[in-house]
Amino acid sequence: MVDTVPTADAPDASLQLKAQKRRNLWLALALVAFVVTVGVTTAVRIQETDFSGGDRLYFSGYLDEVEKEQADRKAAERYEAMRAEEATQAQVESIETAETPETGDE
Amino acid sequence: MSVEMTAEPATPKLATAGDYVQLLKPRIMMLVVFTALAGLVAAVGVTGQEINLVLATVAILSVALGSGAAGAINMWYDADIDAIMTRTSTRPIPSGAVPKDEALTMGLIMSAVSVLLMWIASNVLAAGLLALSIAYYGWFYTMVLKRRTAQNIVIGGAAGAFPPVIGWAAVTGTTPLDAWILFAIIFFWTPPHFWALSLVAHKEYAKAGVPMLPVTNGAKATRNQILIYTLILAPIGLAPLLTGLGGWVYGAVGVALTLGFIYFAAKVWRSEAGEADAGDAERKLAMGMFAFSIFYLFGLFAALIIERGFGLYFPLGGL
Repeated sequence: MVDTVPTADAPDASLQLKAQKRRNLWLALALVAFVVTVGVTTAVRIQETDFSGGDRLYFSGYLDEVEKEQADRKAAERYEAMRAEEATQAQVESIETAETPETGDE
Repeated sequence: MSVEMTAEPATPKLATAGDYVQLLKPRIMMLVVFTALAGLVAAVGVTGQEINLVLATVAILSVALGSGAAGAINMWYDADIDAIMTRTSTRPIPSGAVPKDEALTMGLIMSAVSVLLMWIASNVLAAGLLALSIAYYGWFYTMVLKRRTAQNIVIGGAAGAFPPVIGWAAVTGTTPLDAWILFAIIFFWTPPHFWALSLVAHKEYAKAGVPMLPVTNGAKATRNQILIYTLILAPIGLAPLLTGLGGWVYGAVGVALTLGFIYFAAKVWRSEAGEADAGDAERKLAMGMFAFSIFYLFGLFAALIIERGFGLYFPLGGL
């Protein structure tokens, strides 16, 4: 069996330990940075994604054109329905405002 | 049990943070990041599609990580020939600062992280293209092409040409003609750029047994190829003017840089650069062309960023 004895040029053990600790710190920081980046990116993606319109979080494309058209049509229908509801609501509010008797200052 | 005094081939030394940075080939990374940014900015400018600043930053960071990962894998595989060549013998692995296995592990982990981050920040297409470009450089160019064919730089050049396409795909989820024009510019720029350097470093490549063009076909053939590829690159570099990707700023910068590139290529072609009896002037000329080629690429993509990113786009057809 042959053992390798460190030569005089090899770095000192305590220095090696120090360097190892420094590397570990950098690795830990890199890991934290990765976790933070993934977290922040996911948060931004969730905020920007319109799930009601058929959007997906991590896949922005569609595998099937028909599927895309259906999703677009449904999103358009939902949008139209929302606009119509808003218009009706506005109409009702304007009628109610018109019907409310004015109260003048005494 | 016997004890034998043996010195390691490369005496282990304590690795510094700088050694790990060197492992990522930072100069190549800068060029990669810059061209990816240009693709991203151009995509926003051309299509009008927007990308959140945080997501854009993470996408560019992913490209940088991917480039570094491919660089680390390249250094892991090429450690034997790097030790032979003077120019590369001080790199972290041959100098004994970073163990080979550590470099490979780092490269593989960074590859996975970069692709994952790109996917999270943008879309599957951009992440897929990033994975493809890492594999293209880290495996196809490094392990298959580099030691087998003199066309290594030509075919392998595609690896460095992907970044603007990735940047474009990160914004739009598509890769239209404009994105592939940017790809073609880098693809046809790589051979004259790298061969200019290899005219100076050909003895080193010969020593390491790497079949670079000056080693296999001689200096004259290399100078011919430099001129041919430069003449092919000239119209491709100006192609963004035809599609409307580039406007007046790009046109002015592009024409000036293209003429400069042709001037250098013609001078190198007429010189004795790379020959056994070539003097210092020839060496300087080849290195001058190498430096100008970097300036050329930075200039073209900077013009694109200025036009599309700072609202200075004035279409050629509009005047």
